[in-house]
Amino acid sequence: MSVATPVNPADINPRQVANKSDKKALLDAIRMTLSVQSPAVRRNTQTFNRNRYAATALLPDYNELKDRARQIKEDAIANLPRLLEQLEASVRANGGHFYLAKTAADADQYIRDVLLRHEAKLVVKGKSITSEEIKLNHALEAAGITVAETDLAEFILQVADEQPSHIIAPALHYSRERITALFKRKFNTDLPLDTGEELTVFAREKLRQQFIAADAGISGANLIAADSGSLMLVESEGNIRMTMTLPPLHIALAGIEKVVPSRTDFGTFIELLPRSGTGQPLTSYVSILHPPLKAPSFAAPGKAAKPREFHLVLIDNGRSRMREDPILHEALYCIRCSACMNCCANFETVGGHAFGGETYSGGIGGSWEAGTGTLMNARFSELCTGCSRCVTQCPVRIDIPWLNENLRQRMNVEQPSSAAKSAFGAMTGSASEDRVAPLQKQFFANYHVMAGEAARFPAMANAVTRLPLVRGLMESVVGLDRRRKLPPFPPKTWEQLYRDEHADNRPRAAKSASADVLMFADVFTNYGSPERGMAAMRVLREVGINVELSPSSPDGRAAISQGMIATARRQASALAQLLLPHLEKGRVICVLEPSVLAMFRSDYEHLLDAGTWEKFARASFMEPLQALLSIAKEHGTDLSQIFRASKSPHGTRVFYHSHCQQRSCDAAWQTIEVLRSCGFDVVTSSVECCGMAGSFGYKREYYELSMAVGEDLFAQVRVAEQEGGPRTLVASGTSCHEQLWAGMGREVIHPVELLVSTLG
Amino acid sequence: MLIAEFTVAAIQAVATVQVVDRSPAALCAAILQAVGAASRILYAPPQELPASLFSEFAADPRVRANATPDEMVNSAAGVTEAFAAVASTGSVCIDVSFERTGIVSLMAPLQVAVVAAETIVPQPRDLFRADVLDGRGLKRDFVFVTGPSATADMGPLVRGVHGPHKLHIIVLRY
Repeated sequence: MSVATPVNPADINPRQVANKSDKKALLDAIRMTLSVQSPAVRRNTQTFNRNRYAATALLPDYNELKDRARQIKEDAIANLPRLLEQLEASVRANGGHFYLAKTAADADQYIRDVLLRHEAKLVVKGKSITSEEIKLNHALEAAGITVAETDLAEFILQVADEQPSHIIAPALHYSRERITALFKRKFNTDLPLDTGEELTVFAREKLRQQFIAADAGISGANLIAADSGSLMLVESEGNIRMTMTLPPLHIALAGIEKVVPSRTDFGTFIELLPRSGTGQPLTSYVSILHPPLKAPSFAAPGKAAKPREFHLVLIDNGRSRMREDPILHEALYCIRCSACMNCCANFETVGGHAFGGETYSGGIGGSWEAGTGTLMNARFSELCTGCSRCVTQCPVRIDIPWLNENLRQRMNVEQPSSAAKSAFGAMTGSASEDRVAPLQKQFFANYHVMAGEAARFPAMANAVTRLPLVRGLMESVVGLDRRRKLPPFPPKTWEQLYRDEHADNRPRAAKSASADVLMFADVFTNYGSPERGMAAMRVLREVGINVELSPSSPDGRAAISQGMIATARRQASALAQLLLPHLEKGRVICVLEPSVLAMFRSDYEHLLDAGTWEKFARASFMEPLQALLSIAKEHGTDLSQIFRASKSPHGTRVFYHSHCQQRSCDAAWQTIEVLRSCGFDVVTSSVECCGMAGSFGYKREYYELSMAVGEDLFAQVRVAEQEGGPRTLVASGTSCHEQLWAGMGREVIHPVELLVSTLG
Repeated sequence: MLIAEFTVAAIQAVATVQVVDRSPAALCAAILQAVGAASRILYAPPQELPASLFSEFAADPRVRANATPDEMVNSAAGVTEAFAAVASTGSVCIDVSFERTGIVSLMAPLQVAVVAAETIVPQPRDLFRADVLDGRGLKRDFVFVTGPSATADMGPLVRGVHGPHKLHIIVLRY
């Protein structure tokens, strides 16, 4: 693996690292964004994120709207060829022109020819990310046509010559201070441009002249209705309205995936799109048109008004191929709202210049770059940790992590095979098709094999992995960053502790066997935190639940996160065989590690055969405190009489960080409710993810990013402790424990350990 | 009911709202109060409301119903009808294909929109139903206007970008 040479971030323009098919560009881009852009990206994405949660909470039928939106998009993409024919007829009936461009070059040529025919010298453009995809500005400027970007973000990017870093706020990586510096330098002006108002006035004055003088306007479109040729356009500045209203010639450019059957469908999306994007009920202007407009165009002072002309240019540029792709077709459902970016901890920290390509960015961006370009352009999708927060926030419910895991798998296959990789894969249990994957990926995917070996001789394993030479080797061979402290392997596994308990003849059954739960011995807890596993079982028994431990078996989480899908499938099938008898008996299965709970609850849909998945989908998988709360409620058990916070040696003040996938499974609030009802004073984190995300934070190339993401969490702990002093750190995920431990330098416990501590 | 919900939402979206009686005198007084000392007022005559309702206002010497291009880009206020409004979001719906309504509602720093109370619908989605307002929302070219134009692209939130800097909504009582 190549080591990136250090770069001076100030020396690179984001354009230089836009194409990340070479891994060095990705690593340089991460350094550049962390050093230059991170504060602005964080502030802006996190504002969108908070606003979206608030705005969607006000929609009483949010989930039904999402279901309907998903259904509309699924049907539209399935029927796309027919809809395109219908749309063409509608546009022509309205008096407009319709052009379907196969490639970016086709679209550029068509638009250029239309403009040249009209002798257009100056074109005003509303925001169109699709025009970035086809590099329209270059094509027009080469033909002597001046293009004025009128969206203020696009205006900034045009001045700076940078690619967009976000789908709806393309310059959100710019702080006000950096815009001031940019404008002063590029426009060579002494005007005071030290406030948002001054900058806005400066840009508005320049652009107002362009609007008045423009020969043509080019807009995008958020949605297009086949039945009427109607467009929906969402904006706040008013530049898109001007672009479409003032000049006589209007060209709307969009991808073919924007087509929906009917204008009535807009009713669903108008409720979802602005709320999911900026978090506003509606943005300032949402235009609904079927051009050409009947109103007269604007004649600049001294000029005669010309008749209106409208062209709808739809581009394919790889989309038909995506439509045929069993995985990537889901990306075509995207309505480009940006929710997946704003709720992504990695994106919030680096933005789309690192977590993005030449046009598209964020979790969904990899599929778009691969679909409209080449596979390796999606390299940046490595920054998707699979935390799944976006799956819950996407208005059309796209399983973005699954798309990225498949991209990763395809990129693994593109890697050259080597004897070392196949030997390592054979030794560790990679499926044969996954043995081309880099050593690092195979190492993390088969964590259970390494951990299983270490568990045979834990003292020796701990001694060996502390050796600088060994850490050096681990870093150079599998890319495990040596700055990460490795949690020590405990002397016995969870399975061994459980067996010992039985050998001791200690009471096995609960006080009253009122419920029956199988605890799943996930590999992370089994090898890494067996005492925590035992604590979980004890907590359940205290309320009268009869609980047994399953054998430990890899679940596929580690493999799927490395894009080793065949290996994950194999592990999932084997584990399913182990669990099926219990599922068929209707037993509740408790899973301590949230990332494994998420596998059973959702990822297995992709990994198991349909019949087995159906049984999983019907089964009851629960986080232990979820089971505890539901049974306590069912039996009217007063938890505060069993677990008295006042008796805990950890004190009653706690800071609780729930796991990203735990929240996506809706299995986090129960822990908070349990702890509070037992008398704990709980402050919770509000970050989307701790930044560790399984193996991600261990990887040498992502260590700095992982720690930068964690900084938000660490800061929240410090704020919580400013008043009243320290709090016990409590977290539910294995990764979160390691990250909090690294960032705060002190012990982190699991909620079940906190509860057990009250028992004396 | 819907008037109250509309008013709260519109104010949240940083518009100002005034509810007035449906008479030429009351409407004229409300508009003139909103435009203050503006020396020129762009005006697009209505499509739905009776033009007579605007007669007193249109007689003001500052009002231009047929502004020249130069006047179009140099006026302090623009007055139009809105054919619908949305209670949950505080939006007004402006027809942009009807004569100069679209451009008058867009070019001046102050936008004044006049809407009849009975055309307030509960949610944005209602404009896409055939059984609401005779399906006008399914046939027309229009824009949902929610507050003044705004941007966060220059760092902090700024109101007043390419479109109007202020939005004043006059609701005509039932």
